[in-house]
Amino acid sequence: MASNDLMVGLEIGTSKICVVVGEGRPDGTIKILGVGQAPSRGVRKGEIVDFETARKCVHEAVVDAEQKSDVMIRSVYVAVAGSHLQSFNNRGCIMLPEDRDEIDEQDVEDVKINAREVSIPAQNAFLHSIIQHYHVDGQDGVLSPIGMSGQKLEADFHIIHGVRTRIQNGIRCVKELPLEVEDVVFSALASAQVVLTQNQKDLGALVIDVGGGTTDYVLYADGAIRQSGSLAVGGDHITNDISMGLRIPMARAEKLKIEEGSCILGNCLPGEMILLKDDSGFAGKEIERETLNTVIHMRMREAFELLKRRLEEHPYLSYVGGGIFITGGCSLLNGIDHLAEEIFELPARVVHAHNTSGLTSAVENPQFSTAIGLIKYAQAVQTGRRPRGFGRIIGRFKFFGGTR
Amino acid sequence: MIQLSKNYSLPERAEDFIPIKIVSVGGAGLNALDRIVLDGLERAEVVAINTDVQSLASSVAAHKVQLGRTVTRGLGAGGDPELGYQAAVESSEEIRESLADARMIFICAGLGGGTGSGAAPLIAQLAREAGALVLGFVTLPFSFEGRRRNAQAREALDRLDQFANAVVCFENDQMADIVLPKAGIHQAFAAADILISQSVRSIVNVIQRPGLIRIGFDDLLSALRRRNGRCLFGFGESDSDNRAHDALAQALKNPLMDRGRMLSDAARILVHVAGGPGMTLSEVEVLMQELGRHVDEQTQILFGTAVDGRMENRLSVTIISSLTAEADPASDTAVPLQVATPLPPIWEQQPEAQTEVDSVQESIPIPVPPSVPPVEFAPIEHEPRMEEPAPGAPVSSKKPGVHPAGAQSKIGPVKKPNPVEEKSQAKQEILQFEPVTRGRFEKSEPTIVEGEDLDVPTYLRKKFKVK
Repeated sequence: MASNDLMVGLEIGTSKICVVVGEGRPDGTIKILGVGQAPSRGVRKGEIVDFETARKCVHEAVVDAEQKSDVMIRSVYVAVAGSHLQSFNNRGCIMLPEDRDEIDEQDVEDVKINAREVSIPAQNAFLHSIIQHYHVDGQDGVLSPIGMSGQKLEADFHIIHGVRTRIQNGIRCVKELPLEVEDVVFSALASAQVVLTQNQKDLGALVIDVGGGTTDYVLYADGAIRQSGSLAVGGDHITNDISMGLRIPMARAEKLKIEEGSCILGNCLPGEMILLKDDSGFAGKEIERETLNTVIHMRMREAFELLKRRLEEHPYLSYVGGGIFITGGCSLLNGIDHLAEEIFELPARVVHAHNTSGLTSAVENPQFSTAIGLIKYAQAVQTGRRPRGFGRIIGRFKFFGGTR
Repeated sequence: MIQLSKNYSLPERAEDFIPIKIVSVGGAGLNALDRIVLDGLERAEVVAINTDVQSLASSVAAHKVQLGRTVTRGLGAGGDPELGYQAAVESSEEIRESLADARMIFICAGLGGGTGSGAAPLIAQLAREAGALVLGFVTLPFSFEGRRRNAQAREALDRLDQFANAVVCFENDQMADIVLPKAGIHQAFAAADILISQSVRSIVNVIQRPGLIRIGFDDLLSALRRRNGRCLFGFGESDSDNRAHDALAQALKNPLMDRGRMLSDAARILVHVAGGPGMTLSEVEVLMQELGRHVDEQTQILFGTAVDGRMENRLSVTIISSLTAEADPASDTAVPLQVATPLPPIWEQQPEAQTEVDSVQESIPIPVPPSVPPVEFAPIEHEPRMEEPAPGAPVSSKKPGVHPAGAQSKIGPVKKPNPVEEKSQAKQEILQFEPVTRGRFEKSEPTIVEGEDLDVPTYLRKKFKVK
């Protein structure tokens, strides 16, 4: 390929499947060439439940992207989400041999392998091992130890793992099209690549990717990823709640959520009603706005509170100085930033990908953060700069690289 | 109906359930435990115990105990029951801690190996000493695993029998019948795990579900208790139009049931029918009539039923019984002895336990004269069992707990009435109000976080009224 490598990010989401074609610029920015999408079916809570249907939808989205960007897609980066993903921090440690005191690349590889020597459930596979910091002979906060002198090299890693077969489902779905899978990336990690700047990562930031089926999060403190995970609650749940609470069909509930919904309470006139029109445009049912907002509010509040409790298991939330960055399709929900501010007691805002050029309409939509983030991730891997221990996919997903 | 109003006034949720722990010992036990947890088990805690650290690490159990830190140093017991026993002795303090606060302990183990055979009897002993009722679920090795291993298993079973209140025994050889001859060996082992999981879970449910006609632990013991017995077990669940028939057919299809043929030889059968609020009397009637065709006239049926809001429109049948090794239908007369002998130790060692049995009795007049509780481990109890003489044993006459056990326990000191039995009526009312609707997520894997099913709309769980 040319010097401007083409990269494709594919997100198999719960409500839509999107494919973003982009190219990396030598200056580190990326340019979006085209976006293909298709409504998603056969996916629940971020995971494929109807393989054949999902495969058709992915195919549709890929064809759409090929037409719009006028390129032939051969290989993709795939985002994964789902409540089976888990993460923890672990420290690896190696001693250099007596006769040598300069740390080389092999030592860095070794310490990474050492850090992974922890027991995860047998059916799980490592998805990412992301370096946080190195310690050389007790000196903290070393970012790149290669070339340094020392006897003892330690490294803190953030390790994300998930159920192997459930990760493979997404891969298999793509491979049957047939397309090559370059790598699989945790979706919130991908999103964070484009919604955060390095400065924000250093300050500490919490990225919440509220999607259709899952709410994924990564927490950065002191420039390194500290916590990550996935909660199987998303926009779908809101729609379901509305549909059940107001007794209207799912499709109508979805429309109502997008057009009228808000998760702020007390923002409407008492007794304010929303008139639902039926298919032919005639007036139908009337719904109280306050009721609609309460249903949405309760769901989102619960999701955020769960998230907060989960994050508070570790002390990092108090190191978040940059605030909360909400992205994903459901971040378009009115008032979601205010609700997050109220619950987390941190400044929150809805963000989309930045530092990209090309199709601005796509870039400026938080729905595409993950797919664009995949391209950014791919760029970091492909430019070969390998800043902090990248590894490429080897064989069938035994080994994965990561980024910071 | 004074008592009824009293029942309603006792809705303390914290004490709704009897604290149950499921303890798995050894590699095979851990496999079974994983299956139990994966299949989803509420209302019981699980504890994994093994000598082998690796298998412990991969277990999904929340609570883990490593045996014999110095004896085996994290390795397995190498098929030596003596070593397994030593390891358990060394860690007995930790085991005791892990068993604390349980009223009922289920021990799952694969007998024949080192840890399972060596440690399980000791754990059963510790559990009894901790004051719990102990039920063992064990597998016996395949006969091709060699005579030595089988002998070890038999010996361990005997010792376990001494300490446990009852032992449910699965012979791996039987598992061969479940799986197709072509199936892989792992499937045969998995089948055993699934069967254990199913029986543990259904027994937990039978005990924990509030009953209209309640099945108590005493009923369970009397259905299971046979020395060297073969366990008959069947579980079926259905939500079809003809769910009573379908659930029963499924239960009888269970390999441990042999299509109901074995049932005709059983002297005592425990049947538990659970369903949602929509379960009708006629359904239960149809089911019991159908079951009646499979059992002998003399067979005594311990019948229990429960309404559980969470069952929705499903109906489940659990059938539990056991046969003596020779499947001797004439053993009817011997039954009371066999049932009675293991029971006395409970009352001796465990005054707590009797309250459980006792409270079942409180409202039911017992026509059996109280007798002195037997002290020896010997067949002393020859009182006429209330159920025994009933010929034909019509289903409806089988009130749970009408049992000499209760009569005997009357003379023991009554410490506190078991709240579970007392307010089983009131609790049902509460359960029926629990939200059960999940809308479009009805068929997907539930998302349970911090004990709440997140697929159920938040406003329903928080009891917000939508206008």
